[in-house]
Amino acid sequence: MERAVIGYRTPLLPPIDLTVRANSTLGVLGPNGAGKTALLKALLGLLPLLGGRRVLPLGRTPRVGYVPQRDRLDMSWPLSVLDVVLMGRAPLVGPMKRYGSRDRDAARAAMQEIGIGDLADRPLYALSGGQHQKVLIARAIAAEPELLVLDEPTSAMDPAAERVLLDLVARLKSAHNLSVVLVTHQLTAIPGFADEVALIDRERGLFEVGPAEQMLDPEKLGRLYGRVVRFAKVGDKIAILIGDGAPR
Amino acid sequence: MSGFADFWAGRDLWREPMIAGVLAGGILGYIGVFVVLKRMVFVSAALSEIAGVGVAFAFWLGAVMGIDPHAHGTIPLLLEPTWFSLVFACLAAALFSLRPGHRKLAPETIVGLGYIIASALVLAILNSPRIAQEAHAVGDILFGNAVTVPRKQIEALFAATVVAVVAHAVFFKELLFVSYDPETAVVQGVGVFRYELLLNLATAVVISVATRAVGALPVFAFSVIPAAAALMITDRIGVTIALAVIFGVVSAALGYYVSWVEQLPTGATMVVVASVFLLPGLVKIVRRSSV
Repeated sequence: MERAVIGYRTPLLPPIDLTVRANSTLGVLGPNGAGKTALLKALLGLLPLLGGRRVLPLGRTPRVGYVPQRDRLDMSWPLSVLDVVLMGRAPLVGPMKRYGSRDRDAARAAMQEIGIGDLADRPLYALSGGQHQKVLIARAIAAEPELLVLDEPTSAMDPAAERVLLDLVARLKSAHNLSVVLVTHQLTAIPGFADEVALIDRERGLFEVGPAEQMLDPEKLGRLYGRVVRFAKVGDKIAILIGDGAPR
Repeated sequence: MSGFADFWAGRDLWREPMIAGVLAGGILGYIGVFVVLKRMVFVSAALSEIAGVGVAFAFWLGAVMGIDPHAHGTIPLLLEPTWFSLVFACLAAALFSLRPGHRKLAPETIVGLGYIIASALVLAILNSPRIAQEAHAVGDILFGNAVTVPRKQIEALFAATVVAVVAHAVFFKELLFVSYDPETAVVQGVGVFRYELLLNLATAVVISVATRAVGALPVFAFSVIPAAAALMITDRIGVTIALAVIFGVVSAALGYYVSWVEQLPTGATMVVVASVFLLPGLVKIVRRSSV
């Protein structure tokens, strides 16, 4: 997006430049209500820009595998895991055609790759939160995407489950040569996962984007969350500590 | 003569209303699966009322122009109440597809407003001095009575059923996708508005035609109860649809039979019979909650 002005009727932020590079991971980080969803919608072309332009390097919209926020979906639908994963194939099959054996094979392969191959016939309501998240990722992979977009995939997950999920996404990224966009409000999801990071907060009129090592800076994050943020090295990992007070 | 023998002997009288009831029960049972799962139960009631406004409006217009719209064979095509009811219901369906909302009003509230305003309009138009003397006949044409159904309405209902079945058969995977997860569907390039519109239009066509054939109460009931009963006892979409259609068909046929034998109001009896299908699901719920 070049000099893009994002907003529903009025601009949320000053004009921004944002690039999703091939085979890289962009993390979009900001507190609740920061404008992350509007940014994501604009990036995907679902929200018309109020100014600037959206450039498609491939000359067309890339095939997108989308993982929505899990709590927005209704678990009471009488659908099996396979039914849901097959939905990812709908754009590839096209209208007025039914899913064929190729689509079923692709859906099963995606489930196998994610590690939920044995859940194909299980009804949605019988899944745990983590399993449901994996089903949504399998559906996104079944769409044979060039760009994988995940909207708050680790919210309501414990830290261990969060790491397992992010490792899985990282593995899928290299296996399928994907570009990945991860939108999250959770600081812990970004370090060690994203190559580039965009910090966003419309309340403070803040938008910054750059390489992860540059953006994951205690001062910048402190400004973003309105709290003191400290980094501590634990072995080869970085621990992020959020303090009580506001940053000076 | 036994109840069944008496019923069978009168088959020339009940054949057409029975066909209309069975058709309405089957197709509304199917459509009801989407209606219930999409949490749009009130939409079917609102569409039924709005279709009624179309009929009432046709009568009012006819009265203003000095033409009696239910004088068989003499009404101009443009004043045919069926067309008015279809057009009004389809316009409302298109409006609902736009997911109208306001910062403080949920889309359900807008649908509710449509229902309330449509009900009031029907009453106001029917009690207009221009057509008050025909109000009873208009009421039957508006909301059917399930006891006698003209052949023309069976043909219209059959045509509406075919349209809805074909639309759903051809676009089933898209309709399921946009109904279950519109957000992902739109990101993946599946036109959500287009398919929501198709779904709502098919629902509007069936509801407006079925309301005139079998009445507002059975139509509302058939678009909710069979689907709800099926959803309570199965976790598979295919089985849910099959059961909802069976429950709708059996409720209509058995309801008509019971109303004939026991001399009960037909529409209401169909609804009571349909409600019996809720029992297995309710038993399941009670068992689960007592564990």
